[in-house]
Amino acid sequence: MNPIIISLRLARRALIQNSLTSLVAIFTVSLSGGLFLGAWQIKQSVNLAFAQSAGGFDAVLGARGSQLQLVLNALFHLENSPGNLDWNQFETIRSQPGVSEAYPYALGDNYLGYRIVGTTPELFLKHQWKPGSYYQVRPPGRIFSESAKEALVGAQVAAAIGLKLGDRFNPYHGLDFNPDSKHEDVYLVVGILEGTGTPMDQVIWIPITGVQRMEGHDPSGAHSISGVLLNLKGSSGLALDVKYNKQGDRATLAWPVPGILASFFNRFVWLEKTIATLALLMAVIGGLIILATLRSTLHERRRELAVLRCIGASRWVVTGSIIWQSMLISIFGVAGSLLVYVALSRILSILIRAQIGVKMGTPFFDQTLLMTSLGILLLGLISGWLPARKIYNTSLQESLNPHG
Amino acid sequence: MTLLAVEDLTKSFSSPSGIIEPVLKVPIFCMQENEQLALRGASGSGKTTFLHLLAGVLSADSGKITFDGDSLHLMSEAERDQLRAGKIGFVFQSFNLMSGFSCLENITLAMNLNGSNDPEKALEILEQVGLIDRRNHFPRQLSIGQQQRVAIARALINRPKIVLADEPTGNLDPESTDVSLRLLRSICHEWGSSLILVSHDHRVIDQFETRLDWEELNKIKKSRKADLGDRID
Repeated sequence: MNPIIISLRLARRALIQNSLTSLVAIFTVSLSGGLFLGAWQIKQSVNLAFAQSAGGFDAVLGARGSQLQLVLNALFHLENSPGNLDWNQFETIRSQPGVSEAYPYALGDNYLGYRIVGTTPELFLKHQWKPGSYYQVRPPGRIFSESAKEALVGAQVAAAIGLKLGDRFNPYHGLDFNPDSKHEDVYLVVGILEGTGTPMDQVIWIPITGVQRMEGHDPSGAHSISGVLLNLKGSSGLALDVKYNKQGDRATLAWPVPGILASFFNRFVWLEKTIATLALLMAVIGGLIILATLRSTLHERRRELAVLRCIGASRWVVTGSIIWQSMLISIFGVAGSLLVYVALSRILSILIRAQIGVKMGTPFFDQTLLMTSLGILLLGLISGWLPARKIYNTSLQESLNPHG
Repeated sequence: MTLLAVEDLTKSFSSPSGIIEPVLKVPIFCMQENEQLALRGASGSGKTTFLHLLAGVLSADSGKITFDGDSLHLMSEAERDQLRAGKIGFVFQSFNLMSGFSCLENITLAMNLNGSNDPEKALEILEQVGLIDRRNHFPRQLSIGQQQRVAIARALINRPKIVLADEPTGNLDPESTDVSLRLLRSICHEWGSSLILVSHDHRVIDQFETRLDWEELNKIKKSRKADLGDRID
């Protein structure tokens, strides 16, 4: 039989014999590897998911204020609106030669905590939320009429609170649910949107005039909107940026959306670094635990290994079994790391989907993952090599008479 | 036909105080194929060291050991490992079975180290030592006598040229001693393996036709080895 296989068999038995300490070592390595991967990969996944969830818009025009607040409010339905724009400003930007699409939106109400956003039907007819994909309404539903009290419900809202075609509901005032702030207007559900995996799924859409003229709203806001969702032609964003952000002082153009999101995520670099440092520390602890595990088992195995030499095992078979023992812990550690990573991704994915509506992709496997796995294996190799080297250099006579 | 020949073999160890102490000096020793020999001597007198030298576990300071036509003192470590795996069987006083391996696996492991794998053959020898029904038991689940019978089966599975048994009955009760000794001798005889058995038990030694007194064979005076005794044996 191949000496490598014999070493592996010996290592496997040593692992089973010392199952508790081996499991502790595997658990520690798995946790550190999983956290390390999580810190790097989940950040990438979240970034990607947010970038893909921008709904296919290049820019947002809103009240003077923070560009990030505008993007989060208009595209991710988070935060409050920085303020209102006049309807004329929508008309103005729509007529700009560099603007290919412009959809006004208005918000200020909710239904059971889900935001109600007013817009025009064109958004659902003309806009591609990702290249080649238009919004789809589940049959036999339809898009709301511009002048009726009708609603189009996002897929996630429909699933969460059970709204269905033909249901009627009363909106509540404000972005957060307050049972005492019910409007008298009644809306009829005329369509349920197919899921898109974007924050659109967490919104109830009604005609923009519905929000503007909702019973109880300030009549002076009847011509106000919260902002405009935009798609731009070529490099027209630069000119509009100058016009609205640098020269103008009445509105803010949040452009380009990916750049604004990237600056948002850069705020969390410290967190990412902290997690990565913690994970590295755990990796060192994992390596030390492997070392301690091997040393403690070697103390018991030393005579057995000497006997193996007596019955014909070569020095390499004996030392190989120690290295294999360490490598097996590392291999299980790599598998455990992947499990921890996938579990972390899943949990985070569920949380983000529930809170923001952004759908994260399946955990992906790339070079970082490969390098981390190789790093864990290298850690195992080094942790195994140190005691193996000691055994390699110990004379057989010394091993047979350890107390001599 | 001569299987084993030793000439002017010497071995020394460093004492705890750093002084080089000679422990073994065997001018001549010879053994024939198929021969069974008992070596009698007191504990700590260097008998185990002698067996380790014969098996190539230790290297001699000087002298020659010729085994089955090969000069042991000229062999590399890897060649000596191969020799032990295939041509030499070891039986220890404390059995030294692999605790994580079953009876059958302990035996097949010895086969594997010799480059073969034949579980049927391992089962046959387990049958021969009367432990076929314990093949999947682990050493801790066996009596002392049964453990020694597994150790005998492990030593003999590769049909070695010689079996070196170091106080194999030292931990056994009289009944198990008789059983183990009978098995060891009969299988060695049946398979043509020579046997060197080291013991200080007269009841064991007296069962052998060829008996050697270690004090006669080793020319180092006992008083010079006294403080090294336990370490060497």
